[in-house]
Amino acid sequence: MAEKPENETVQKIVEAFKGADFDEVLGLTQQAVDEGLDPGSVLDDGLIVGIREVGEQFRRGEVYLPEMMMAADAWQEAMDLLDLLLGGQKAARKPAGTVVIGTVRGDIHALGKNIVINMLQTEGFEVIDLGVDVPASRFVDEAEKHKADIIALSALMTTTMPQQKEVIEHLYARGDREAYYVMVGGGPTTADWATEIKADVYGETAADAAALAVAYMAEQKGARA
Amino acid sequence: MIAFREVVNRALDGPITSEKEFDLKLFVPTARRLAKKYDIKYDPETPVPADDDLADRLWQAGVEFFLEVGVYCPDTERRIAFTPEEVAFALAYDRGPIMFGDGVDRRVFPRRQPEDSTPPWCSLGAGGGAVSSEFHLLSLIREYARNPLCWSITTPSLTHADGQIIIAGSPLEVEGAIRNMVLAREALRQAGRPGLPIVNGVASAAHASSHIAGSGFGIGPTDAMEIGAHHEMRVDFDSMNKVAYTLSRGAQIWAENGVILGGIAGGPATTAIVTAAYNLLDMFVLRGSTQHPFPIHFDLRTTTTRDTLWVRSVSNQAIARHSWLPVANLGYVGAGPMTKMALYETAAWVTAAVVSGGSIEAEGVAKNAHVDHTSPIEPYFASEVAHAVARMDRQEANHLVKALLKQYEGHLADAPVGVRMQDCMDLESGEIIPEFRELYRSTRQEMTEKFGLKFKYPSIYL
Repeated sequence: MAEKPENETVQKIVEAFKGADFDEVLGLTQQAVDEGLDPGSVLDDGLIVGIREVGEQFRRGEVYLPEMMMAADAWQEAMDLLDLLLGGQKAARKPAGTVVIGTVRGDIHALGKNIVINMLQTEGFEVIDLGVDVPASRFVDEAEKHKADIIALSALMTTTMPQQKEVIEHLYARGDREAYYVMVGGGPTTADWATEIKADVYGETAADAAALAVAYMAEQKGARA
Repeated sequence: MIAFREVVNRALDGPITSEKEFDLKLFVPTARRLAKKYDIKYDPETPVPADDDLADRLWQAGVEFFLEVGVYCPDTERRIAFTPEEVAFALAYDRGPIMFGDGVDRRVFPRRQPEDSTPPWCSLGAGGGAVSSEFHLLSLIREYARNPLCWSITTPSLTHADGQIIIAGSPLEVEGAIRNMVLAREALRQAGRPGLPIVNGVASAAHASSHIAGSGFGIGPTDAMEIGAHHEMRVDFDSMNKVAYTLSRGAQIWAENGVILGGIAGGPATTAIVTAAYNLLDMFVLRGSTQHPFPIHFDLRTTTTRDTLWVRSVSNQAIARHSWLPVANLGYVGAGPMTKMALYETAAWVTAAVVSGGSIEAEGVAKNAHVDHTSPIEPYFASEVAHAVARMDRQEANHLVKALLKQYEGHLADAPVGVRMQDCMDLESGEIIPEFRELYRSTRQEMTEKFGLKFKYPSIYL
């Protein structure tokens, strides 16, 4: 059976993500809305499916970080449009979860963290990127401010790894340790290190980190149900 | 060549550019366009290509990339740009012989061509890998220096000083860097090679302050500091501060850059273009006496994947054929000490580097993720392989590398981490345990009998 015209436009949004035609995404989103499609359907069946497909392509080694970054940009532009069309209200989207992420104090390596951010975004997470060289207290402040579910800590040097522990100690000091799922990662870190510093989990790769975040949120959802 | 001060001035008053604009509007589209323009394509069947025209096209692409994209300074959010005339003058500049070391250990760093029979420079170390105590560090460096094929050393990174964990940014970082350096010099004295050049003596240092402090305790004009750019084509003021200090000291620089395959540099073709472009960044901004690259896989965190080997080989060839700034290739393998896989991986990346016109620094093992997971054997084996393949032609090397890839390629995601150095050697005597000695002996024999390698010298471990 032939697809309905409005579904074809939504399908084109997915295809634009899959084919790395990211410049097309915004126009197609506008077109879908002009055709009378429900913004929720454009979001669920077009934008979310499309950006997840880019994440899968990245996992399979078919595309690289530039495509992930451009996909995230296209997604954000389309989301801004949907928000605007809905009269300034946020599109009917509940993020998969909120993650506060950064590279710890003393460490200015950004690239691994940025890959993780893009992987999380393709999974529908709202990601608060604190950047690099982030003091321990700021992770805790920002997590509280954004009501985060997860704090993700990156460290690329053996001498900056202890700053991951420092963040966890700050959480304990404020009595907030149980409020967040703490993930650690980065070149010299290991699962043993995560256990030693009382983090919740270690992500060896960006894909691992995203999968662990998804699994944690699913577990939380299950616990709440 | 333009003065370093002029580079700093351009970082201070160059065109304002946001980081995102630099990445997505300039870096990515330029790399992609140049890959198409110069027909740079990765072929998984030729991890070691024997195509001079490809190497020449890659060099042209790298130069154009450097001129169009320039270098980003995150501190000022400005772009440092260079002119074609400045690049042409820099490349024509006669740098003269590049020398390191003192006394009997003073040598010229070779400018090698692909398939060159000139012995490659072999620097030994742990790629910045971490060791847990001063005693570990001393023992390891002493063992590196026992190797006559070792022409310079880079120190491992201390995680503790006096049993206390070294934390970046604290005074302990300064103390750690100083201790790294003092112990390295002492280890070389104990080994009877006090003139052996140190090309990175402050591996535990995260900031310029500790680099500078540590180098004051043992780096002279015949040594070098390793100074790196950040990913990708970015140099911040902290790195420029290290350069400013090192130049004032009259010491030299190994300019380090590990382009991440799969990161902002994209796939193999564009990663190779960026690696070639770094040769000019290293010349102009980091003021290197060598380029010290390690194209590394974003996910597997090694330099021994098939695609990173191709990047290594083709960019080495491009640089060797066109630039006076020689390449000292740094390698990271997936498997850890006392595993056959680590030796296979070592042979693969060293072969790809050396037959393509490079020298080596060997090496980080177990992805450099595990404290004390390092040993003197893997770097020693690397230096043996480097000398064995020095005059090999690229087709033969391609067959060899493919045969080696077959042995380990499927295991990189779950590479064995191996054992700690204290579990595979006596830290006091340096004696390697019999089990490890046998693994090394049998693999070395296999390299000769199955893979056709002809080692030039008898092993000090057999």
